[in-house]
Amino acid sequence: MTDASNMHIAVIGGGPGGYAAAFLAADLGMKVTLIDRELNPGGVCLYRGCIPSKALLHVAKLIEEAHQAKNWGLEYADPKIDLARLRSWKEGVVKKLTGGLGQLSKQRKVEYIQGRASFDTSNVLRVSREGGTEESLSFDRVIIATGSRPAIIPALKLDSPRMMDSTSALDLPELPKTLLVIGGGYIGLELGTVYAALGSKVSVVEMLPGLLPGADRDLVLPLHKRIEKVFDSILLNTTVAAVKEESGGIRVSFDGPEVKERERVFDKVLVSVGRKPNSEIHGLEKTQVRVGQRGFIQVNKQLQTDDPAIYAIGDVVGEPMLAHKASHEGRTAVEAIAGHKVAFEPNAIPAVVFTDPEIAWCGLTEAQAQKENREIKVARFPWGASGRAMTLDRTEGMTKLLLHPQTERVLGVGIVGVGAGELIAEGVLAVEMGAVAQDIALSIHPHPTLSETIMESAEVFFGTSTHVYRPKRSA
Amino acid sequence: MTEFKLPELGENIDQGDLVRLMIAPGASITEGQPVMELETEKAIVEVPSSVSGTVKEIRVKEGEKVKVGQVIFTVENGAGGVARTASAAKQPVPALPSTPPVSSSAAAPESKPAPARTAVQTAATAPARRATDTGAQTEFKLPELGENISEGDLVRLMISPGARVAEGQPVMELETEKAVVEVPSSVSGVVKEVRVKQGEKVKVGQVIFTLEGAAAAPTERPQHVPVEHVSGQQGARLAFQAAIRAEGKTEEQALPPDAPAPAIPTFAMPAQLGKVAGTAHGEPIPAAPHVRRLARELGIDIHDVKGTGPGGRISKDDVKAYSKSLLASAAAAIQAPRGTQLAQPELPDFGKWGKIERVSMRGVRRKTAEHLWEAWSTIPHVTQNDKADITELEQLRARFAPKAQEAGGKMTVTAIALKVCASALKIFPQFNASIDMAKEEIVYKQYIHIGVAVDTDRGLLVPVIRDVDKKNIVELATELTQLSKKARDKKLIPAEMEGGTFTITNLGGIGGTGFSPIVNHPEVAILGLSRSSMEPVWLNGKFEPRLVLPLSLSYDHRLIDGADAARFLRWIAEAFEQPFLLSVQG
Repeated sequence: MTDASNMHIAVIGGGPGGYAAAFLAADLGMKVTLIDRELNPGGVCLYRGCIPSKALLHVAKLIEEAHQAKNWGLEYADPKIDLARLRSWKEGVVKKLTGGLGQLSKQRKVEYIQGRASFDTSNVLRVSREGGTEESLSFDRVIIATGSRPAIIPALKLDSPRMMDSTSALDLPELPKTLLVIGGGYIGLELGTVYAALGSKVSVVEMLPGLLPGADRDLVLPLHKRIEKVFDSILLNTTVAAVKEESGGIRVSFDGPEVKERERVFDKVLVSVGRKPNSEIHGLEKTQVRVGQRGFIQVNKQLQTDDPAIYAIGDVVGEPMLAHKASHEGRTAVEAIAGHKVAFEPNAIPAVVFTDPEIAWCGLTEAQAQKENREIKVARFPWGASGRAMTLDRTEGMTKLLLHPQTERVLGVGIVGVGAGELIAEGVLAVEMGAVAQDIALSIHPHPTLSETIMESAEVFFGTSTHVYRPKRSA
Repeated sequence: MTEFKLPELGENIDQGDLVRLMIAPGASITEGQPVMELETEKAIVEVPSSVSGTVKEIRVKEGEKVKVGQVIFTVENGAGGVARTASAAKQPVPALPSTPPVSSSAAAPESKPAPARTAVQTAATAPARRATDTGAQTEFKLPELGENISEGDLVRLMISPGARVAEGQPVMELETEKAVVEVPSSVSGVVKEVRVKQGEKVKVGQVIFTLEGAAAAPTERPQHVPVEHVSGQQGARLAFQAAIRAEGKTEEQALPPDAPAPAIPTFAMPAQLGKVAGTAHGEPIPAAPHVRRLARELGIDIHDVKGTGPGGRISKDDVKAYSKSLLASAAAAIQAPRGTQLAQPELPDFGKWGKIERVSMRGVRRKTAEHLWEAWSTIPHVTQNDKADITELEQLRARFAPKAQEAGGKMTVTAIALKVCASALKIFPQFNASIDMAKEEIVYKQYIHIGVAVDTDRGLLVPVIRDVDKKNIVELATELTQLSKKARDKKLIPAEMEGGTFTITNLGGIGGTGFSPIVNHPEVAILGLSRSSMEPVWLNGKFEPRLVLPLSLSYDHRLIDGADAARFLRWIAEAFEQPFLLSVQG
């Protein structure tokens, strides 16, 4: 085993993957240098992604519930939105969290360099500090954790403040009257939800026939129904042919079989058509690192690149581009560097869409099972039968288990409904532990909570769900 | 071009010294024609060809060691080519399951089409046994249990209708002629119908039970070798084979014919890791993350580990047990090719004191050395001595000798001793038994097969006479004469030296007044006969000259008490003295 304590490693990129790797390396006794452009670690997730969007989504949810409260005999006046205050609250959250990470770096004696890094050789980095100084530093191992950035489609490239990507949309510069979201993926829908709640008339355009391509349709359906009410329009099977700025906004021309209005003008347009890996690192060609067709750095199960001194983790090595995947990879890479026999081999990586309702799944999906022609059994529990969902006045949800037909093992879990993102953790544990349906059915779940829906879907599988009479019923 | 490879010669025989080649390049041979003489650890055997054609190239030389599976010669215009095992003729290859699933109930999941079985059959050299284990099954048939074993007595059933069985789970105990084996299931599912009963004879290929909605065992998984409860070599050999199969090799690959020493399947850690890293498996493995981590740390592919939990869930203990079994089989594999290692103190340089010659300890001698070492070191020996007055018997023997002569036999004291011992073994069954220390059981044999030590110029051989209790003395004399001749003519086959329950060794022809024979493990007793001589015996108030036969009984004190041994030997002595006793009690 390599003597970890004598190693000096560099981590390029301070996102959830990078800082998790750096911190673990420090905990294992390595000397660690963490290089990132920002003042503190955090990366896209904390500065321009998960955290600020969740802060805004929380606000959006509150607005929605305040509206809905009318039905419960509680009437609020329409909210007055102080955008500047909202912005600074959101930024305060980000600052607190990233500052905390800076503190944690210091406590762990991680050398944090605000700057950029390029490769001189496999283990010599040229680091240019924010102040302008440049130096060559050599390391035993380098971990690339440079993440990803919003993708741009050339046809939609328009240099205008009315054109936004996820980063600028989170900056919340002003509230547009009308907003077009290009791309019906999770980023577009989450931000669309925020803007709709804050008062914008939001339209979403998606090239494919459904929102959230990749997610199971039965999970998307309740979300689709709700978004239909909240959004101005949902344009499916539709592409954006051109965008043009004019005095009153952005003129967008649509193309597709179901298009009714060929052209429409929007105050603002948010382009959320996916993300691209940041693999264009200066000097990478001087190493043996191999970059694949789609721009992802190629790694093995230990996250090691073709260059034995260089590891890579997170968005830059492939889908799913999720913070929690990156963190786990970062820790795995460091353990591998320390000489432990480890591999990145999860059975379930949870995916959560923080819309309203939320959608979350882990492990096998029905779509994937169908594609791979795998025989599975699906047990669904409609939230209409959940007391807790009723008290929340949100009964459109559904919980389902994907089970192996013979062994009754839990292969995947899918949930749509409020709080699905929190509930899915149990699903991950079930899949990872190799739980069988009976394990879940026999584990007492607290009443009255939404978590009971997981237990009851296992009971549905056996046809003995307390609150569902017919074994199978769609929500 | 067809190759003729050395076929299986019998239990525990994996190689032999090539004594004589009977063919030459260009010779035309037909199937069944003897092509060489091989001296194995047990005997000299003539090996018949399994192919026909014209011999093209001979790949071995006289005096060389030849291994099972090694190519002996190649044949042009050849036919056949399947290495015929000694047992192939009497062991019917069980039919592949062609009957529709017995148990398809309405709720049963749509069964996928059975995987193509052609792969199994295309490999001409693949042992026939694999055929039984492949294909989607809703029935479990008795798999091949080993060389020469075609049936067994069902000692214990471990399943019942409605029980859930998993692949690899032991479902029954079978007593074969060689050992009691635990037979693991090759299928998973819920038992529907059990088609056999305890105490019945079960044949290889016979349906044992049917399943409801069976999931066939994946064929690419390592085969489950029945675990035989036998000592030393056999166990080691099975473990060795299992280890080889676990590595995805055939025995032939693991023991390359040209290598001077058999390759030892070592446990290559980096290769294992590499394999894991590069392999994509569809189904996630039912093991908790810490269990998967442990497997990696141990260098084990988690996909090879069998889970004992619900839904096949793999626990930490499963991984540890698998790891242990791998290590054990690797260790056994190291030992198996050479058999039991004799731990010997270092020898001095004998050359210091004079001229010496070193001769390799071939076949029979080495086997004898190993076997006797094993017997001596496992059995606490005690020898009980007695004398039998055979004056009257000698008269009878002389009278009936011509009868035996007519039948082609020789009426010897040994032939009579066979009959006497068979009767004694019936009365004292603990002398016709074996000890299974591992299972803490005594194995009483319901048959009496007695081995007779024969002195040959190659060394000591012990042919076994079957069902001694069912044969008369003339028959026994005839058979003994034939077997002894066969032994001396090197014609004895291994099967004729197996299955003994008791042994007689007669050194009387040479001389001596007594000795301590070593029990022929796993038997528990052996009777030694020395030279009979005239002695003065106090009879009816005076000394009379009587012909007296010295008897020496060595026994396994773990099973047999001294008093029992004294009684047993006294009974034998009295039977010699009063042959009528045989008719009365025997």
